[in-house]
Amino acid sequence: MASKHSTTARGAAARRTSSQQQGLEYRAILDAAVDAIIIVDHHGTIQEFSRAAQKTFGYERDEILGLNVRELMPEPFRSEHDGYMDRYLRTGEARIIGVGREVMARRKDGSVFPCDLAVGRVQGMEPPRFIGFIRDITTRKADQELLLRSEAELRLAQELANLGNYVMHPDAGGDDYFSPQLRRILGVTPEDGHRVSREEFLERWVHPSDRQRVAAGFARMDTGAAPLDIEYQVVLPDGTVKHLHHLAQAMFDNRGRLLKYVGTIHDITDRRRAEDEARVLQERLTHFSRLSTMGEMAAGLAHEINQPLSAIATYARACQRLIALPEPELEDIVGALEQINAQALRAGEVIRRLRNFVKNREVKREPINCARLLEDLRTLAETDARLHNIRLRLDLQEPLPTVYADPIQLQQVVLNLVRNAIDAMADVPEERREVVLATRIASDGEVEVVVADHGTGLAPEATEHLFNPFFTTKASGTGLGLAISRSIVRAHGGRLWHTANDDCGVRFHFTLPASPAAATGD
Amino acid sequence: MIKEQKPTVFVVDDDAAVRDSLRLLLKSVGLPVEVFESAQDFLDAERDDRPGCLVLDIRMPGMSGLELQQKLNDRHSILPIIFITGHGDVPMAVEAMQAGAVDFIQKPFRDQDLLDRINQALDKDAGSRRMLAERNMIRKRLESLTPREREVLDLVVAGKANKVIAGDLNLSQRTVEIHRARVMEKMEAHSLAHLVRMVLEVERPEA
Repeated sequence: MASKHSTTARGAAARRTSSQQQGLEYRAILDAAVDAIIIVDHHGTIQEFSRAAQKTFGYERDEILGLNVRELMPEPFRSEHDGYMDRYLRTGEARIIGVGREVMARRKDGSVFPCDLAVGRVQGMEPPRFIGFIRDITTRKADQELLLRSEAELRLAQELANLGNYVMHPDAGGDDYFSPQLRRILGVTPEDGHRVSREEFLERWVHPSDRQRVAAGFARMDTGAAPLDIEYQVVLPDGTVKHLHHLAQAMFDNRGRLLKYVGTIHDITDRRRAEDEARVLQERLTHFSRLSTMGEMAAGLAHEINQPLSAIATYARACQRLIALPEPELEDIVGALEQINAQALRAGEVIRRLRNFVKNREVKREPINCARLLEDLRTLAETDARLHNIRLRLDLQEPLPTVYADPIQLQQVVLNLVRNAIDAMADVPEERREVVLATRIASDGEVEVVVADHGTGLAPEATEHLFNPFFTTKASGTGLGLAISRSIVRAHGGRLWHTANDDCGVRFHFTLPASPAAATGD
Repeated sequence: MIKEQKPTVFVVDDDAAVRDSLRLLLKSVGLPVEVFESAQDFLDAERDDRPGCLVLDIRMPGMSGLELQQKLNDRHSILPIIFITGHGDVPMAVEAMQAGAVDFIQKPFRDQDLLDRINQALDKDAGSRRMLAERNMIRKRLESLTPREREVLDLVVAGKANKVIAGDLNLSQRTVEIHRARVMEKMEAHSLAHLVRMVLEVERPEA
């Protein structure tokens, strides 16, 4: 017996030991599992609640055991759960068991969180028991949502900016990506489906006049020499013309093999159109200002043309009378004829300069010798000065560096400043009536042009608004002269400002960069 | 008594071509001409009050034509001025005329128009000079009278009869007659009317 007992006892001990061991292992599994593990019976009463479950739901094991699993669910699942279990027990129809799904769960503090739920039925037990595995997916959900939102935002941003992006592979094998906005920009529907090769893009989209330039840009990018940064026009399948700004880069692997292209395409049609309109407007305004300057100078110009005409008429009549004399002096007659020729050319020259100045023409930058340009302007400027009984003195430093500028716009600026100087001296005494037009090389190598008067100077309130469009101190001024002059100078990469003259009056200065590279766009 | 001098046309214009063409035109019609580049040059030149006329550009740098006219007026010059004006100089031309210019002509002009005006101006100058010379002569004659003779002259010119004059001056009528005869002789008057005219000529404030 003892032996039997002992045997039995040993067997029982062994069995107990084995069962104890299983129990310990079972607990260890429950406590070590990262996922929350909950065991319920066929009523939904909680039988077991793992450590992770305690952490996830905020319940102590002791307080939750014996409660219904409903406690761990938010409405409406909470009220519906008994029904689910009944149906399963009655029909065996599983909705969740062995499937796993994403559900909402409820912590002790009432807060609700998303989780992945997998439920298994413990086999071979009646009434049945179920084991649930629950993983809190709050973080993953948040990440997902963030991703979704950032995708949505990106999409919206692309739509708003009219910007599309793409990833393209050199061979058809790669996983190409074209953002929806890019498709819209290029007028391609997703259904088109087929891959557009670079050659096809050049052929079917890029405007013929830009094709060569774009192809060259692509080629440079392929060699890795430079990323693509190019503006060009495309013609969409429906005939619409668009301006694009295309930025792209070729990516290579560490063996220097071309992997893919990553790029953005910005539809700048509207901006371009606005820029074009603004430029046309600015050019018209500039031209208008030149015309109005000429209008103000009309009297002086008429005078300037009248002089040679008068001389010609008088010389011609003098010649006729000299020839009619009994002993005409040939020398006088020849001299007069030479003068007639010279004066006709002089009148023609005034008209040529005038026409050049008022012509509505394309803005064209070219290398310019400032001194020569100002000499050329002298006739026009002096015309006006003489009319107002003012001396014009040129003080030109030579040689000056060549500047890169539009000659007519430059003359417009100088003429405008000279006219202002003349107007500023309308009421000053004879000895002060002088305008000095000087050039010099500024300390930084720029060419500086100075127009100095000895007038009444500027009132403080005038100084403040000097460069505002439509601000004028003159009875018949447009108020555009200085505003336009400044914008012209700025467009040439220079500055326009004023200082008080040493004794009295004002000096207007402007600079122009000596090197062509320093000049910016219009 | 009046020494006849050939009149000179003075031209002041800052524009070399205009100036030179005028010089040639005037030369072609046989008029002596002197040209000046500026108003100041003209003022500085020694002209010895020669007869002639001035053809003057109204608009010049430095001293303008109008300013030169003003300076000449201040010097009591009688030189007639023809202004050359440009387009739109009408207000200045009006000012010039008010200041005594004989005429103005707008550029460009017909040579004959200018020559006609120059001839008129020269005639006017000659006339003024003749009148000036005559007045100087009359003044000299007046200065040669004794105080008593001058008193008699004034009363004669005032239209008083010898008898009345005798009464006024407390002289005998005979003495008045003698003085009167001396006056007629010294003044080289052909008649009473001539005498009166001469006296009025110099006594008028301005001719």
